[in-house]
Amino acid sequence: MDRRGFLKTTLVAGTAALAGNQVQAQETRNPEEFVGILVDTTRCIGCRACEVACGEEHDLLVPDVINDGALEAQRTTSDKQWMVVNKHETEKGDVYVKRQCMHCYQAACATACPTIAMEKTKKGPVIWDGGKCLGCRFCMVSCPFDMPKFEYGSWNPKLQKCTMCFERLQAGQKPACVKACPTDTLIFGTRADNLEIARHRIYSHPDKYVHQIYGEHEVGGTGYIYLSAVPFDQIGFRTDLGNKPYPEYTKEFLYAVPMVLFGVPAFLLGLNALAGSSNSAEGEAFDPDREGGEG
Amino acid sequence: MSTAVTREMGHFFQFLIQEMKPRGPWLTPFNIISVPVILTGLVILYFRFVYGLGAVTNLSQDFPWGFWLGFDVVTGIALAGGAYVITFVVYVMKVDKYQSIVRVTVLNALLAYIFYAGALLFDLGRPWHAFNPYIGNSFGFSSVMFLICWHFMLYMVAAFVEFSPVIAEWAHWEKARKILKGLTLGTVIFGITLSILHQSGLGALFLMAKPKIHPLWWSEFIPILFFVSSIYAGLAMIIFEGTISHRVFKNLIDPDSHHAFDDIIFGLAKGAAITMFVYYFMKALLFVHDKQWGLLGDGWGYWYLLEVLGFVLVPGFMFAFGFRNRSLNIVKLASILALLGIVLNRLNVSIISFRWYADVHYYPSWQEIVVTLMIIFTEIWIFRWIVTRMPVFKPAH
Amino acid sequence: MNSFVYVNIFETKGLEYLLLLCFWVLFIYLVRYLSAPVKNRKDWP
Repeated sequence: MDRRGFLKTTLVAGTAALAGNQVQAQETRNPEEFVGILVDTTRCIGCRACEVACGEEHDLLVPDVINDGALEAQRTTSDKQWMVVNKHETEKGDVYVKRQCMHCYQAACATACPTIAMEKTKKGPVIWDGGKCLGCRFCMVSCPFDMPKFEYGSWNPKLQKCTMCFERLQAGQKPACVKACPTDTLIFGTRADNLEIARHRIYSHPDKYVHQIYGEHEVGGTGYIYLSAVPFDQIGFRTDLGNKPYPEYTKEFLYAVPMVLFGVPAFLLGLNALAGSSNSAEGEAFDPDREGGEG
Repeated sequence: MSTAVTREMGHFFQFLIQEMKPRGPWLTPFNIISVPVILTGLVILYFRFVYGLGAVTNLSQDFPWGFWLGFDVVTGIALAGGAYVITFVVYVMKVDKYQSIVRVTVLNALLAYIFYAGALLFDLGRPWHAFNPYIGNSFGFSSVMFLICWHFMLYMVAAFVEFSPVIAEWAHWEKARKILKGLTLGTVIFGITLSILHQSGLGALFLMAKPKIHPLWWSEFIPILFFVSSIYAGLAMIIFEGTISHRVFKNLIDPDSHHAFDDIIFGLAKGAAITMFVYYFMKALLFVHDKQWGLLGDGWGYWYLLEVLGFVLVPGFMFAFGFRNRSLNIVKLASILALLGIVLNRLNVSIISFRWYADVHYYPSWQEIVVTLMIIFTEIWIFRWIVTRMPVFKPAH
Repeated sequence: MNSFVYVNIFETKGLEYLLLLCFWVLFIYLVRYLSAPVKNRKDWP
């Protein structure tokens, strides 16, 4: 608890970090600050209690952790599992990494969705609403982390992905995986707090961690952020995704849409008028579908 | 009053039933091939809707979009670009040389949108929500897909209104025909504007897939490339389709317009040559800007060169050469190459270079191909039914 | 943390303008080629 108390600082308007006493920090805290989860991969022991808790919480596959030997293979999340823990053999020994939806600050999937079925909530989690979804799978194409998973085997398919236990959050509880974690690998809190904790750990143990917080800048910032002892490309993360929020890739095009709808019809009418004056001598002769006798 | 309307409706239905009857022989090679394909396609669709997309397609979590989207929708709509180009030339620029192909081109576009955009319904996982982007509180304004949904719907309406005078003429609705005729310029301008946006929008769908598409095919200018290439795709398609139609429906077309059609083909070839030349240089500019020469060394590089040189530059020069030497055969061959180039480009962006680094790559299942063929054959059936009954090929008389 | 690497995003502009010049020269040739009188009128009505 000391750690948390020490780190009760806040981020005002996402720019300046103001260190202050707790009361002040509480007052200036942005009530709409996104929540997120910090994953310190140096602490994870690969027990997969989080996988079990996730499966139980959301009526998904509950893995048989003792016997299924799943850590031997590199897994991805699926339509039956919202999160998986993978083992990576690195220069610093085995590293266990929990992977799931990153809950991006500017979520590509939510931007891509034509019906707001995939929604970036005000609290931070990205959730899915089956009552609106078309099943067009544009979210899957757009997601830089490939997290939305589709039930190809169902006539009534759902998009499956981590919701950061949105219902539990609304009830004031922590996400199931965080609650289940026995080693404090997972820390739930506002993202600003989590970033402070992560930075503090890097500064206090500069030799233990690589000096990067995955998710601080990647794809414009993500709700889940990661600490690691080895470079992130060695533990299964893509490091070529860039720091630009993905919705910005379609920003210019979507700006252009109303421009075109304003401008082009007027331009075409103008062209038509100009073309008309040069052809006027022919008069009625021009008409692709003729007016017949009555014209 | 109401009895008169009823009688009128009765006459019309009798007329419709009369028109529904098949004309011409039944056992043609096309029917023999298409009927089994269509029936098989229907069976496949039954399995698709009962057991899910996975039962009939090779789609996976890594490849959420396959042949139905990449070929039917993205490629099919590009090939339907001819209508907005021709209506622009004829109605906006008032070049009357192309009058005689306006009706058939608009009909082709209308059917292409109904069938190929309609193919999206098979690909949607939850098609019963297909109207969600149009109604209620589910407007995903930030989505390119939302834009595409709206534009497909609006363009179908526009193309239908553009074509409707022909239907009115067929049904002998003189008054309606005159009213609908008056709407043409407005809908043409609306249709062109929509086309510019959704042709480029189909490219914009892939902007956020940046890390998954090979850098030789991903560019922030995909929307512009898709728009420009849809112009010559449409022109090449008119040449290709027109050549076939003029052979198959010979008896429906009077000899005068046969000669006129050759002249039209050369005009289109000239337009295609210039557009392809510009498109080629756009590709070259992006290539230089992104410093992509380092990517040419491997198979993907050769594949890219094949597409850009073999299926853009070469057919572009063939169009120019064929136009200059008045060689119909070279122009027709060029149009086929240009169409293959468009298919190649759209499939490269949407499927082939998508996740080029994957160990296991997607390829379409036979069911996906049969359903695609079913869609194409059904469209041809409807097309044939319409052109043999409505005055589609008839020039102004 | 990531160190700052300077990238000149306009490095290729000179080449692009060179390409543009090539385009215009070739384009003029193409248009002249296409608008010259017809060479072969054998199969032309």
